[in-house]
Amino acid sequence: MSDLHWMTAVAAAKAIAAKELSPVELTSALLARIERLDPKLNAFIRLDGEAAMAAARAAEAEVAAGRLRGPLHGGPGGIKDIIDVAGLPTTCHSKILQDNVAASDAVCVSKLRGAGAIVLGKLSTHEFAIGGPSHDLPWPPARNPWNTDHHPGGSSSGSGSGVAAGLFPMALGSDTGGSVRNPASCCGIVGLKPTYGLVSRRGVFPLSFTLDHVGPMTRTVADNALMLDVLAGHDPADPGSAAVPRGRYAEGLERDMRGLRVGFVQHFHEIDMPADPEVTAALEHVARTLQLEGAEVRDIHLPTLGEFAAVNRVILQSEAWAIHGPWLRDRTGDYGQLARRRLMGGAFFAAGDYVQAQRRRLEMIAAVEEALRDVDVLLCASSMDPACRIDIPADIERTYPRQARTPFNVTGHPAIAMMAGVSMAGLPLSVQFVGRNFDEATLFQVARGWERAAGTDKKHPAIV
Amino acid sequence: MDKPTIDKGTVELLARRAGLDKALAEFPEDVAAAVNQAAGIAQKFKAPTDPRAEPWPPMRAGDGL
Repeated sequence: MSDLHWMTAVAAAKAIAAKELSPVELTSALLARIERLDPKLNAFIRLDGEAAMAAARAAEAEVAAGRLRGPLHGGPGGIKDIIDVAGLPTTCHSKILQDNVAASDAVCVSKLRGAGAIVLGKLSTHEFAIGGPSHDLPWPPARNPWNTDHHPGGSSSGSGSGVAAGLFPMALGSDTGGSVRNPASCCGIVGLKPTYGLVSRRGVFPLSFTLDHVGPMTRTVADNALMLDVLAGHDPADPGSAAVPRGRYAEGLERDMRGLRVGFVQHFHEIDMPADPEVTAALEHVARTLQLEGAEVRDIHLPTLGEFAAVNRVILQSEAWAIHGPWLRDRTGDYGQLARRRLMGGAFFAAGDYVQAQRRRLEMIAAVEEALRDVDVLLCASSMDPACRIDIPADIERTYPRQARTPFNVTGHPAIAMMAGVSMAGLPLSVQFVGRNFDEATLFQVARGWERAAGTDKKHPAIV
Repeated sequence: MDKPTIDKGTVELLARRAGLDKALAEFPEDVAAAVNQAAGIAQKFKAPTDPRAEPWPPMRAGDGL
């Protein structure tokens, strides 16, 4: 088979189950591509090729014996390096934890393996999922396969870069202020932040307990839904885990959009943070396309992005300080500068600031719930700009906060970011859809409707 | 780095109170940046005016650990 690197997880699983493709052939092809391209992309902190090939051979033997572990049987994926994989270090891309070997798999990794997925290795992240892109850490930052001079987004940088470059069809990321959806936006792939509590966080190094989410990153909506089918479910050992029935997310993707009501949050990108004109045009094109597909699109107002960002920041930095305070006091120099600055900020909030932010958060949740009583899904910007250059700190500092992702970490609603087009400079533009709590099925339906109409799943970077 | 708005003496006081003496000695600019980033953020959102407004997540009665 040709172009195995662009094969989706759904197609790979189908071909493997039909004995038309060997897991060994697929894994070998991807490892060869990783060997060739990763020196330019730095998606991996640690490639575990030997273990991946052993798992591929085991998967092949299982297929020969007529046994399939699950819907991802033989499909390779990568894991953000704040998520535990047994026997490998969970470094969080930091000198602080460079020898921190995980004793067991995180629940999300265990579920992927249980469904037959093959772990290729650990992927680059912003340091502790907050400080990046940094050039003063033990490993270099990941780069954007659409243009390696540009940032791939973060903090799940290696996940976004590797999926977009065809190094693997699926990856795990984490999202506390947009860290799955930012690289999905910069790299033109599909990144889901599920409803808070839908996917277990056990075995994932925390950044902010009440804002952290684990989410799937893929090149297609169908792959994303399939991953969520595997990942979702109650975990009694995760205090934030929700005891709700799992959905069947991969079903119903091809339902048409007639009758769906979409709320377009235009003030985010028109007033609160005026977007790059190409981003604005792309968002309007998405709204028009959904209308042509049969959806009703209406204007929706939410609290301002500035207010959402302030609430997110007070909560995130306060909770992160509770985690990092001891290391910041004793091992200050072992952090990169960006993480050091961002994490120390939490030391300077008062307890009352934190409680007020959590009280305002409940009102914000109510505002989004109210909006979602009138519409089925929200449509809004993800990033206000295409990916900036990775080596110009002033550009990073300017564009990093220009986003509309943090609102849905604050409220916990499910949100998906994906490609909305390609800029004149050849970089992905992005859109975000937001759903009702635990209604990822409708979110995927709308995302797939856009993908089907625009063909975004067929657009790949030219990197070879 | 954020434009400094808090004077050096206040930065040092706040940093020492947080136990960041080592950071202050080794990375004074980073400490100042962190203090200035945090300053005023809590005023950028509307605190609830209803005294009964509860925080999220709510306290819940548990059934033990």
